[in-house]
Amino acid sequence: MNSGSSLAINSDGTKPRKFLKGFGSVLWMVPLVCFLGAWELGARTGVLPSEKVPAFTAVIGTLYECFLIPEFATRILRSFLNLSIGILSALFVALPLSLVAGLRSRVDLTMTPIIMLIGALPDLAILPLMVMWFGPGNAAAIMMAAICAFFPIFFTVREGAKEIPHDYFHVATVFKTGRLSTISKVILPSIFPNMITGLRLSFDFVWEVILAIEIIASVMGIGTFIESSVSTGSLKYAFAGILAVGLIALSVDRLLFRTLESRIARWRE
Amino acid sequence: MNSQMEVLEVSKAYSGSERALSALQNITFGIDKGEFVCIVGPSGCGKSTLLRIIAGLEKPTSGQVKFEGKLLANPHEKISMVFQSFALFPWRTILGNVEYGLETQKFPKEERRRIALECLELVGLSDCEDMYPKQLSGGMKQRVGIARALAVDPEIVLMDEAFSAIDEFTAETLREEVAEIHQETNKTFLLVTHNLPEAIELADKIVVLSARPGRVKNILDVELDRPRDKDCSEFVQIHRDIFDLLKEELESSIVRHKIRCIHEFQKLHDMEGR
Repeated sequence: MNSGSSLAINSDGTKPRKFLKGFGSVLWMVPLVCFLGAWELGARTGVLPSEKVPAFTAVIGTLYECFLIPEFATRILRSFLNLSIGILSALFVALPLSLVAGLRSRVDLTMTPIIMLIGALPDLAILPLMVMWFGPGNAAAIMMAAICAFFPIFFTVREGAKEIPHDYFHVATVFKTGRLSTISKVILPSIFPNMITGLRLSFDFVWEVILAIEIIASVMGIGTFIESSVSTGSLKYAFAGILAVGLIALSVDRLLFRTLESRIARWRE
Repeated sequence: MNSQMEVLEVSKAYSGSERALSALQNITFGIDKGEFVCIVGPSGCGKSTLLRIIAGLEKPTSGQVKFEGKLLANPHEKISMVFQSFALFPWRTILGNVEYGLETQKFPKEERRRIALECLELVGLSDCEDMYPKQLSGGMKQRVGIARALAVDPEIVLMDEAFSAIDEFTAETLREEVAEIHQETNKTFLLVTHNLPEAIELADKIVVLSARPGRVKNILDVELDRPRDKDCSEFVQIHRDIFDLLKEELESSIVRHKIRCIHEFQKLHDMEGR
């Protein structure tokens, strides 16, 4: 929003410096355009071997084409649903645990070391176990997403709960707030920013390892689409798939997390 | 005894790892309806603990607090509190913060809004209801804290070092306004402070606590006309009296501490000598 105001050129904007300043907010586009231009040029002139790198415009064309194929859309939807369900289940488990750990130091001392220990294990390495337990398919993919998402949520929310000022609870007590109301009116609003940060971290992480999750769980999602496109040599499709994953991650980040964070920023000190 | 509130032989000890630490010992005093009482004492004398016990935030080890003749075991809806740290909820607007106590008492929405706006007007913050606490200065935040405490129409307003986290200029105006609110509303105020002039300016009665463990050193009535002039001779005299009381107290505790150190040093010396 503020980038819009800085775009406006001053009424006396004849001086070149001020002129440049006005375009400051679009400067990030310059290297991007250069990069895409070099890519396109390299692919078209054959500097980049066409069997390894398709031209940028070809990728865009393929992506557009792909969105018209129902199978592509269902694969994206499947990936999105699996990951979202996984993240939400992780939230469902991590939220109460992290609140108890953050608010009761004795529980924290008992429980958190083991959670840290499990969290320190390489996530991708324990994923194959899920397939062994749940069999290949969506359930395993959801479980994997949930495991990857659990730790960022747990640790950020625990931190937030620890930092709730004592006086907030005194206010709750003096003004006769019940137990449940203390959770809904004091604790949850206090940790809400941490929860959003945790969700955002886990969302980013889970989308980054989507390929691994889907290959290990043998799910027909966008991750396996990329993998099979690469192995069959249809690179345009692989690139289009990668771009689609990136675009989805970016738009969820912008539409959901940025919106929530700017709301929080209105009140957060 | 027909005081509105009675503090009867209240003691508080914390069980430490090595020995129990006594914070308050046999505190007894009464508060009449509409009185402005200040509790003063050196830091660490347990005066905030005493306030928290009266607020129902902590339990005394022994003794009891009675409100309108009844034993006070839990926080009472007619007793509200103002905090040194303001303790406003940053995610609530100013109006939302002032409405908080009414919300937990299940007032209807319109009623809450009306009362909260009235209280905001009383503390001079009429146009800020939609702002968030982060947009306000410390003094303004404490006004919101006072409005929140008044909104539930309490009989007693407890204030824990309510002016200590505010710059002195703002604090002075705020004290004057609190004195006015006290006169207008005729509510009972109980302020804990380490600021003597503040206590003398506001109080009808001052309870002086001794250094740890906190004991009632003296209770004096301040019968100066309001608004009070800090430079008048009576004001200065009361200040000097309390200061001497506390100084003597501090000195004696310092002397005690020194004597203890000398004893321990002597013991060490003897052991080495052997």
